[in-house]
Amino acid sequence: MATGTERQGTDGTAAFGGVSRLRGVVFQYVTFAASLFGILSLAVLLGYVFWDAFGLETAESAWYATMVVTVVLPVAGFLLYARRNPLAGRTALELAATATGGVLSGFALVVVLEVIAGSGLWFAYFLAVGVPLGALYLYGRRVEASWTGLAVLGVLVAGPVAGTVLLGPLSRIGGVLGGPGVYYLSVIAPTALVARHVVDGYLDGPNGNYVALATLVVPILAVPAVDTVAVLSRSVWLLFFPTLVVPFSIVAGRNLAAPGRRVGVVGPLAFALGVGLLAVVPDLLGITGPSPWFDWQYVTSAPSQTAEQAGLYPAIIGSIFMIVLVALLTLVLGVGAALYLEEYAPSSGPAGAVTQLIRINISNLAGVPSVVYGILGLAVFANTLQFGFGTVITAAFTLSLLILPIVIISAREAIRSVPDSLREASYGMGATRWQTIKNVIMPRAIPGILTGTILALGRAIGETAPLIMIGVATTKFSPPSGLFGKMTAMPMQVFTWSSYPSEAFQHGVVAAGVVTLLIVLLTMNSVAILLRNEFERGDY
Amino acid sequence: MARNEDTMADGESNPGTDERLITTDVTAGLDEGSAAATDSSRTMIEARNVDFYYDDVQALNDVSLSIPEGKVTAMIGPSGCGKSTFLRCINRMNDLIDIARFEGELRLRGKDVYDDDVDPVALRRRVGMVFQEPNPFPKSIYDNVAYGRRIQGMDENMDEAVEQALRRAALWDEVSDQLDKSGLDLSGGQQQRLCIARAIAVDPEVILMDEPASALDPIATSKIEDLIDELATEYTVVIVTHNMQQAARISDKTAVFLTGGELVEFGDTDRVFQDPDSDRVEDYITGKFG
Repeated sequence: MATGTERQGTDGTAAFGGVSRLRGVVFQYVTFAASLFGILSLAVLLGYVFWDAFGLETAESAWYATMVVTVVLPVAGFLLYARRNPLAGRTALELAATATGGVLSGFALVVVLEVIAGSGLWFAYFLAVGVPLGALYLYGRRVEASWTGLAVLGVLVAGPVAGTVLLGPLSRIGGVLGGPGVYYLSVIAPTALVARHVVDGYLDGPNGNYVALATLVVPILAVPAVDTVAVLSRSVWLLFFPTLVVPFSIVAGRNLAAPGRRVGVVGPLAFALGVGLLAVVPDLLGITGPSPWFDWQYVTSAPSQTAEQAGLYPAIIGSIFMIVLVALLTLVLGVGAALYLEEYAPSSGPAGAVTQLIRINISNLAGVPSVVYGILGLAVFANTLQFGFGTVITAAFTLSLLILPIVIISAREAIRSVPDSLREASYGMGATRWQTIKNVIMPRAIPGILTGTILALGRAIGETAPLIMIGVATTKFSPPSGLFGKMTAMPMQVFTWSSYPSEAFQHGVVAAGVVTLLIVLLTMNSVAILLRNEFERGDY
Repeated sequence: MARNEDTMADGESNPGTDERLITTDVTAGLDEGSAAATDSSRTMIEARNVDFYYDDVQALNDVSLSIPEGKVTAMIGPSGCGKSTFLRCINRMNDLIDIARFEGELRLRGKDVYDDDVDPVALRRRVGMVFQEPNPFPKSIYDNVAYGRRIQGMDENMDEAVEQALRRAALWDEVSDQLDKSGLDLSGGQQQRLCIARAIAVDPEVILMDEPASALDPIATSKIEDLIDELATEYTVVIVTHNMQQAARISDKTAVFLTGGELVEFGDTDRVFQDPDSDRVEDYITGKFG
């Protein structure tokens, strides 16, 4: 196309001409439109659900005006300021994330330890598994003995067995100590050690010993104040202290100590103050606010025939109970299988063909419909192994099978992405396979493994079809009594409500259920993301 | 497991063969005669009729040579000539490849490293290796150097050992105040010297280097070459390179591999470069091919 004359510009200088980018530009906007469509659909869906769940249609326009004045304007103002002062923005984000994460993980801890396990059971396994592991870890840090790795493996296998065998006497110790005593020893005391390590190791500033001492003393000193609050039992306080109070104090203290960051505290403070005002001011002025379906009553009471008294409590506990078991099972089985397939299994010869066959089949299993797993669970776990219909353990095993292929595939992918040059470096130093896996491969692969597991667990907690197949109840009025107790799960309960004739159920109660499910899911994901970031950052 | 540092690097105490390779206690069947090929200096590694196959493809064809102790031996040749494969046979890194097959004899201090009673892991603890691409672990500089000692259970005097290894790798002055920094934050040349420090921290007897300077710039390369010179006073160094000038500069002995995995010429570096027996080697060295 470019001929000799075209290469000359009008003034005789060399002209380069142009290169057509039309298709590229069109493609760019098509991809932009596709992502915009996806994000907007999600936003509309979430907006619709939240509108119903929080009963926002009953609120007067004056209430919205109050909200704009007390919450939106201050926060928007701070955000504008944060654009000019990014350090303040980061501080605000840090504080907000610590507070939100603290509240959510506090709830998670209360549900898992206090509601599901109970202090006696928790303490039994803490003594059998947690204490030896912690002791080995501390000992291993001090002397670098080569046998500690093997000992950890031994504890991980023998600990749960010992805990189960000695469950009676061990949980009796917990019974003598009582809930608060158990949590003080098993949660607060380790937190003090961790806090000291974090403060001394990563932050400059206060002496870690003082922080540890404060972690040990403050929860006891605060007990008289805690006793005056009706909803806050001593056990709950001791579980929220390490997840919310300690991290938040450390983060806030650090930010307040740094002059440039101090101003960032204003943002979260203004938000908290604004929400507080929004709760009080409209009442004083006689303005009608929203009438949320999703509230404290909803998450703490049992289902009911009347929409106003309906609650999701048994289903929340059932779902969390189940998903904790699923997470444990799939991590152990999935990572184990992936490690074997990637690092140990022969890849050539007849045995290699078998390996290849197994790999392909696992990939295929990831696409099998969930109902099929439901039938399998019904036949194998509920009937043959007599785990019972609709019990927590049957549901956990069934859903574990369902997501196991996904976990194995993503874990294999993560393990394979560890560069071979690192494996060679380790083997070249005379490391055994186990040493290489432990020291080089796993530290690099864990972030990827966790990412895949997060996605898979998200799928498991939202599943309904396999639960229907194994006979999980659609509605239950009490949380599961134990591993072999009957359960129900959040999506089951929500689905049941959606077929109730009343308008209030179909819109309000169901939407609130969806919001609860989303919150549990996000909590789970954020815990996993925090863990992942921790592994990505540290050099293990 | 805990080997003593001072038992290493002095071959005098251990003529002929070496039972430290052997994890089981079988020392029978070691012939004294295998170490007879000592002319000017003691033989560290001796290969006899080594053939090597990747599945059906022959990568080494009847290679026989003896590498002297305490010297730098270079292996040169065009790409795909088998020089790296031979290097990896010495510490049995090729064992990690399922389809690889080894035939022949390869003796380290008289002990055939492919004998059934030789544990490849124990072998690699005595034969260190430095790779083409710098491959420090994503750990701190300190942990990188300490890695080999930790996995071998040599936990005592770790700080001194790390410092000494870094000093011998001519890296101490550059990193002494940032040992907690990740090894990946160093420059390419520093990373390669870190890998050398990691290899010598466990006091191996032989250091294998697989084109250690090919990914580095000329200045970093000259530092590595100086370092190799330095290392040859204490260790037996076997280095693969496709840079002939480099081989001529740093090595005492040179082995020339040509296509097909054949060892065409082996001898003192000066002689190989000035007066090669084979015309093919002369063509290769003078740049007519390869």
